[in-house]
Amino acid sequence: MANKGQQNAQVFDTDDPDRIQDIGWTAREVWRRSRGFVVTSINIMTFFILWEIVTIYGNINPLFLPKASDMFMELWVGLTTRAPEGAVFSGSILDHFLHSFSNLMFGLGIAILIGVPGGLLMGGNKYIEAILSPYVWALASLPRIALVPLFILFLGFTTTMQVTIIVISAVFPIMINAWAGVKTTEKSLLAAARVFGANRRQLYVKVVLPYTLPFIISGIQQGIGRGLIGVVIAELFGGSNGLGYLIQRSADTFNTAMNFAVLLLLIVMSLSLINFTRWLEAYVAPWRSANHL
Amino acid sequence: MSLSNEPIIVANDLTISYELHRERKKLTALQDINLEVKAGEFVVLVGPSGCGKTSFINAISGLVPKETGSVTVRGEEVTGPGPDRAMVFQDYALLPWRTVESNVRMPFEFQDLGVSEAEKKKRVQECLELVDLNGFEKSFPYELSGGMKQRVGIARALITHPDILLADEPFAAIDAMTREAMQAEMERIVMETGQTCVFITHSIDEAILLGDRVVVISYRPGKVKEIVDINFPRPRMSNSEVKTSREYAEIRDHIWKLVKDEASQTNRGE
Ligand SMILES: Nc1ncnc2c1ncn2[C@@H]1O[C@H](COP(=O)(O)OP(=O)(O)OP(=O)(O)O)[C@@H](O)[C@H]1O
Ligand SMILES: [Mg+2]
Repeated sequence: MANKGQQNAQVFDTDDPDRIQDIGWTAREVWRRSRGFVVTSINIMTFFILWEIVTIYGNINPLFLPKASDMFMELWVGLTTRAPEGAVFSGSILDHFLHSFSNLMFGLGIAILIGVPGGLLMGGNKYIEAILSPYVWALASLPRIALVPLFILFLGFTTTMQVTIIVISAVFPIMINAWAGVKTTEKSLLAAARVFGANRRQLYVKVVLPYTLPFIISGIQQGIGRGLIGVVIAELFGGSNGLGYLIQRSADTFNTAMNFAVLLLLIVMSLSLINFTRWLEAYVAPWRSANHL
Repeated sequence: MSLSNEPIIVANDLTISYELHRERKKLTALQDINLEVKAGEFVVLVGPSGCGKTSFINAISGLVPKETGSVTVRGEEVTGPGPDRAMVFQDYALLPWRTVESNVRMPFEFQDLGVSEAEKKKRVQECLELVDLNGFEKSFPYELSGGMKQRVGIARALITHPDILLADEPFAAIDAMTREAMQAEMERIVMETGQTCVFITHSIDEAILLGDRVVVISYRPGKVKEIVDINFPRPRMSNSEVKTSREYAEIRDHIWKLVKDEASQTNRGE
């Protein structure tokens, strides 16, 4: 066997300089990795510059399309000023953003606390699954906006009402994904764990849960999308706070630049959150992205 | 290595079937299997793809319920997996979120076998050494080739020094050179420890070189077609005379014909 060990040592040793070499950085490689970012940046800058030119020379009513620079100005001012102490209404984007963002985070947190254990239980126990699944599917398929008047009736124009709508929007994708994760756990992994002595609890904790984790994260990703809709809808319908309210108010006061500024902020917020969960998914489950070539 | 005549695994009129949910039918994978495996014996199962070899060792490991008949291990009916039986899976079945090392240690983590921490560490190193994967402790399964994954599965099965090793085509994805080395290693382990082994392979050479008996299973439903005794003295792997002997050629030819007979039924259809 000594012979075999030697023969294979050079083939299998990770530290072996013959197999693992420092390939260094070439200009080409740097470009290959950054070109996506560079192209996208140029693309978006061109878009805003064209927008600016069109609005300056195109004789377009700023009520319909404000200048891009006006929009950025509104955004900048809105994000750097805050309402004075004791003001009834705030014109500061930052105030409304913080309100919406903290509501979203709070609502998502509750949705995760309900959705994850709920989905795991449904996947793990067929009685719980049989009992809960019709309600889960019913509520998940109902357009959540249809519930808003009811929640306003129950809870008034309160932050509680807004958070409740976010929760109800985000909880079902999270729950259904966790449920699906448990259900699709690879049978051969469960078999291997059982052969090597795992009891029921260990099967859940050491196999089903890690397998389901990336599913839960994509559930949260969908939940963020739905939750953001919930945020805006809740604030559009009722209340005097939040980005949804600001959208409504800026339109009512013919401040289109402000309206566009808030929309832009929503886009940036949504994309950032979704990219964060993408990164998180790739981080906790690298084998999933490594699977496709 | 002394073969006691005590049978350790006994299959008695064992029938295994699977329910086909789509059409309210069941498929009989194995029918009326009778087989006694003695302690320390190396039994190899061969037969065409889909004849029920995996089903049989799954019944011994307790993963698949039997329809009728019985499987006993040391006289006790198998109702589920136990620490006396370890398995190498045909599809590797490694946990993708665990490193090689952590996958190999898994059997110690799930059951308390009274092994000290120092001993566990030592065995991980030993087993990885055995399958030539030292240096890859911190790699994840998705970073390994198919054959490397399979060797992790072998290390995992050997780490607890199980009495009974159930190996489902453990060398199928491994290249010819490494495969030969692993076969020799397998023979050495079995000779040194007196481990009982039920081994599945599609390679007739491997079956003859490793097995005390080769069980040929017929196709649809799987039945024991013939049991061929192999009496070459061990160690066989290092003995070049075994493979060149006339007897070897005859046994090889015999088993090959048996399997071919069955395999040709596959092609003829149902
Ligand atoms: N979970 C299952 N559900 C339904 N049918 C199954 C299941 N597992 C196996 N079978 C059927 O049982 C038969 C035997 O399968 P088995 O996996 O035991 O074959 P095998 O001899 O190991 O084949 P191979 O050499 O290709 O691994 C096959 O016809 C297969 O279709
Ligand atoms: Mg098989």
